[in-house]
Amino acid sequence: MATPSAEVAEFPNPFSIETPAGCEGWEEMYPYWALFDEHRRESDENRLWFWNSQHFPFPMPAFDMVEVDHPYYTLGGWQNRAFAVPPAMGVDYRVVNGYVYISPNPVTDPDKMAERAEYFQKRAGHYFQNWDELYAGWRTKMEALNREVESIEVPDLPEYEPDEVVFGEQDLSNITLLRAFSHTLRCAEMMWQHHFEFLLLGYGAYLTFAEFVRAALPDIPDQHISQMVAGIDVVLFRADTELRRLAREAIEAGVDGAFVEGRSPAEIDAELSGTDAGRAWLDALEQIKDPWFNMGTGDGLYHYYGSWHDDPSIPYASLIGHIEALKAGKEIERPTEELARERDRLAEDYGALMDEETRGGFQELLGLSRTVFPYVEEHKFYCDYWFQSRFFNKVREFGALLAKHGFIEEGEDIFNLSRHEAMQALEELSLTWSTGGPPLGPHHWPPIVARRRELLERLGEWTPPPALGRMPEAVNDPIVVMLWGITPQRLKEWAGSQEGSELNGAAASPGEVEGPARVLRGLGDLDTVRPGEILVCTITSPAWAPIFSKIAATVTDIGGIMSHAAIVSREYGLPAVVGTGTATSRITTGQRIRVNGSDGRVTILDEA
Amino acid sequence: MHVRSLTELRAADAALFGGKSASLGELIAAGIPVPPGFAASTAADVEEIADAYRALGEPAVAVRSSAIGEDSAETTFAGLQDTYLWVEGVDRVCAAVRDCWASLDKPEAVAYRERMGVEEKPAMGVTVQLMVDAVVSGVMFTCNPVSGDPSTVAVNASWGLGQAVVGGEVTPDEYRVSKVTGEVLHRAIGPKLIEYGPGGVRSDVPPERQEAACLDEPRLAELVEVGRRVERHFGSHQDVEWAIDRDGELFMLQSRPVTVVARAERPAGKSAMDLVMKTFGAGS
Repeated sequence: MATPSAEVAEFPNPFSIETPAGCEGWEEMYPYWALFDEHRRESDENRLWFWNSQHFPFPMPAFDMVEVDHPYYTLGGWQNRAFAVPPAMGVDYRVVNGYVYISPNPVTDPDKMAERAEYFQKRAGHYFQNWDELYAGWRTKMEALNREVESIEVPDLPEYEPDEVVFGEQDLSNITLLRAFSHTLRCAEMMWQHHFEFLLLGYGAYLTFAEFVRAALPDIPDQHISQMVAGIDVVLFRADTELRRLAREAIEAGVDGAFVEGRSPAEIDAELSGTDAGRAWLDALEQIKDPWFNMGTGDGLYHYYGSWHDDPSIPYASLIGHIEALKAGKEIERPTEELARERDRLAEDYGALMDEETRGGFQELLGLSRTVFPYVEEHKFYCDYWFQSRFFNKVREFGALLAKHGFIEEGEDIFNLSRHEAMQALEELSLTWSTGGPPLGPHHWPPIVARRRELLERLGEWTPPPALGRMPEAVNDPIVVMLWGITPQRLKEWAGSQEGSELNGAAASPGEVEGPARVLRGLGDLDTVRPGEILVCTITSPAWAPIFSKIAATVTDIGGIMSHAAIVSREYGLPAVVGTGTATSRITTGQRIRVNGSDGRVTILDEA
Repeated sequence: MHVRSLTELRAADAALFGGKSASLGELIAAGIPVPPGFAASTAADVEEIADAYRALGEPAVAVRSSAIGEDSAETTFAGLQDTYLWVEGVDRVCAAVRDCWASLDKPEAVAYRERMGVEEKPAMGVTVQLMVDAVVSGVMFTCNPVSGDPSTVAVNASWGLGQAVVGGEVTPDEYRVSKVTGEVLHRAIGPKLIEYGPGGVRSDVPPERQEAACLDEPRLAELVEVGRRVERHFGSHQDVEWAIDRDGELFMLQSRPVTVVARAERPAGKSAMDLVMKTFGAGS
């Protein structure tokens, strides 16, 4: 990467990025609108694009572009067209070598902003005034949507249609099949619509509180700000609460001997099902699976992030840990009362240090932030974990059907087709199933899938620059600041942080430690983490809970004080620095690093 | 009574004895550790001073100006009046007191008064206190002096006597501590090349101590606790000089109101909803 100039750092021109060797033609995996194109060159090379590694740390499989298009068109729908946030329209994206770069569209005309402000005040005001009621309705509709996508039936294509088609009202199976696939995709759109309905307003209210507090108390650590607001008994912690209860019950029932470190869930289940007490415990486990096993194993935006239903090794590792701790006489309950007391004490003590007028504003904004925060924390469970895992599993059913008819080699291959291509394949299958003629699909799709598999693997070895294009004069898009923590300061750090042994990020959880780094670029590497290592990753998910009890600290590429990596690190009392921009590309596994979670610095101690 | 023990002084006595002596009296009244001593008003004569000094037991003392009008919240005369350290013996103490009185006529003191629009020449009191043989000393603000944040205490510390810090002769250790949680939020260890020891002797700090922290967390906690008591007692943010002696005992040497507090900019008179709207660029 070019050395940044002293004045304004420039990032690489998006049209100058070279295709990694062997990855020629990667563009064909993505829709035409996803690419940098000569027709948009003048505008595209003069704006800033930053790699959205927070949501898309890995190269995009063709199908997973659903998770790019749907969010950006629902985000834009709410932000630009429904709420009309005055200075910000929606967010554009482009794909480069498989990675997603984004750039906001600002509104700069003052008259236009004034016009939008009128809409915004009225419409956002309605949400803030009726938040609790609207949010209760939101939960209900999200739960209904989650059950709806799960209940979609993917019909087999039979030799003869059942009697109901002829003597009843039932539609032809191929028509039902195509409708079911559309229905599945429509559910995903609905989820994203629901997801962004409250998100901007919730983050905005919280951010206002955070900025107010920082203005009044410039020295306050970020984590105290979120601690004053954070919910205590939020849905994200409920799954682990249930596991702790089951750990106790396993000991009380005398079946805890089955939980041996290193055993797989299947081996543990096998031992448990050999006794009455074990079977009773398994029944109790079954009771909590809906909904609590809908916790995700990742952050939800890739098809390979399943839920605990798909990969029970995460909750089982928690169970093993809890049982071990209990037998060692340790207290494993989250000290909820203490956490609640501490949160109220912080708010009270900080309030007491302010003058009366400031205190009034502080308390009002604190109240509003606490009102909106349950949504901010809980939407991840309902949308990113629960819905996403059910949605991708539903898509797998269509994949299985295509594989059964030879259109692809195995069901998982459907994720190497775009949603449009998957629909095409299903349409041809519908056609040839009905006509009885020979399908082309089995010849057409498998080579495409094979090439894309190879492409994704090679693109995974490429390190995307944190940003492309031109540094903007000002970053005044509230949404970009809120969702991605992109500020001029952060951009400067990225531009300057390509060399040297120090990285800067946001101080997310206090404390300082040194240790060997473990750089994780994929979920599959989770079990390589050794006790005492410092986790270096693009992003973490709270569902990674079991490794947080092993590691010494966390460093991420992107994320802010709202990131769950930050929240979980504070819960576990681990130092964390988030939003370094380049940690995963500059640190290698085994290097000794020092993480200072109080001032946001990461130092590479030995250059390997 | 033109000479009085510091223990007898209160805020109201500032008019006669100067702000420094009066605030030390207030600190003692609040139960805060202050080295024993006495204060002399402008009208004190040499005999009174000599008697008071003999009553202290004729130890080494610090003789400091305590100008009337000095150390008020509006203007600080910091450093413009003289301080004499390690003064011992009746004659020397009396001479130092006379020198303090005379310091008001120094050109820089006159120029400062002119600039600050102080028309009358202030009267001059003097504070005489037992000399603290300090191993560590420094200055503490009960708020962040730069940002005005009331939730943190800022501490500067260096080896030996405080004159090295006050006079800017060393880059001191800097600490900022949260009043709410006691966490040390910021710690920058300065290269402390010199120190002042007993008798006011200036010496080089040996290399191994130059970059060593002067204060550990328990010490910082103790300082912050005293700082908060001082702040509560005066009802305003204070700029405090402190020292730790060879026995490890902590003393406050002087306290005065922080003169300029940067006030964080706050949108006044706006409702929470107005502020949220502003975050989204809606509303002024």
